[in-house]
Amino acid sequence: MKETESTFLALINQHKAIIHKISKMYMKDLEEQRDLFQEIIMQLWKAYPSFKGKSKFSTWMYRVALNTALIYFKKDNRKVDKSPLDENIDIIDTDESELKEEKLAYLYKAVNELNSVEKALIFLFLENQSHKEIAENLGISEVNARVKLNRTKEKLQFIIKKNGYEF
Amino acid sequence: MVMNFDDLKKEWSADSGQEINISGNMLKIKQARTPIDIIRRKMKHEFNYQIAAIIILALFPYLFGLSDEMKMIYFVFYTIICGFTAYYFVKFFKFYKNAYDMSMDSRKNILWFYYEMKMNIELYKALTYIITFISVSFFAVYLVMEKTSIYSKIMTNISPIYLLINCFVSILIIGVITELWAWRYYGRYLKRLKKVVDELDYED
Repeated sequence: MKETESTFLALINQHKAIIHKISKMYMKDLEEQRDLFQEIIMQLWKAYPSFKGKSKFSTWMYRVALNTALIYFKKDNRKVDKSPLDENIDIIDTDESELKEEKLAYLYKAVNELNSVEKALIFLFLENQSHKEIAENLGISEVNARVKLNRTKEKLQFIIKKNGYEF
Repeated sequence: MVMNFDDLKKEWSADSGQEINISGNMLKIKQARTPIDIIRRKMKHEFNYQIAAIIILALFPYLFGLSDEMKMIYFVFYTIICGFTAYYFVKFFKFYKNAYDMSMDSRKNILWFYYEMKMNIELYKALTYIITFISVSFFAVYLVMEKTSIYSKIMTNISPIYLLINCFVSILIIGVITELWAWRYYGRYLKRLKKVVDELDYED
């Protein structure tokens, strides 16, 4: 058991960015992101015995993590951070690494306006998945995945532009 | 600031989440918060109350001093309720223990959750209806047998049509209360899952 646990933890640590990004995409508030992060880890651990190594660990992980995020119910009694974007991010700072972080922060903020399936589509797209892989992960046809992804990208561009940025 | 998807992809890939620590403690945490886990916990909670209610119901004939004949009839009704509750308990136990597979594709996964939950909520509603109607039937028998004067007063003073309308309205009220209760307690979880399935299926 201990060995299984440490193997699992090593694998999770290698791919923790997946969970981290999904949590940030699906939850606005930091506390809620932590809760979802923990929930995904727990669901992965529960499902781990079913992982037979037929596919890559990351492929299996995408599914479990995304499925968890899609059906996750956040706790009701939690204050949600509704502060506007400008208060959280210093726009004037032009240092390159901070600019990159800033872009990602704006991306996450814009993604908040998407529905849960659109979030999944954008996530898989940013993870460099092909239309075929996106379709397989979500259980929809490849054509539908392509159409939905294009629409979601347009919607995301619109949201970012609406916030005053060039795209 | 100018953004485009290629840049975003690069920055996205560069975010490796190195600052996050994952320890073994995270595997031993809390209760899961998938809708099915939430519903299972709620149903388990309600089921405990049902068991307590059934135990208390067994004492009713003694508390209300029913006649021996009435006690026998009461326990016939009581046994039927216990039988239905036991059946529900077996089904609920299966639902409670049934493991789910989160590694299916999202559509299959959500549909599995949706129908599993829907079936169990319907079962829960059916049990509520059955118990209510058995209780009402017992009360009717009780009126006929033990409270003959009240029964005959009802039968002589109230027209059969009015009685039928009353029965119909009572059934309707029981139905509405059961549906509202189930919706308030469990409906929003189903609604949320249905919304995700609809979003996945939507094509125009």
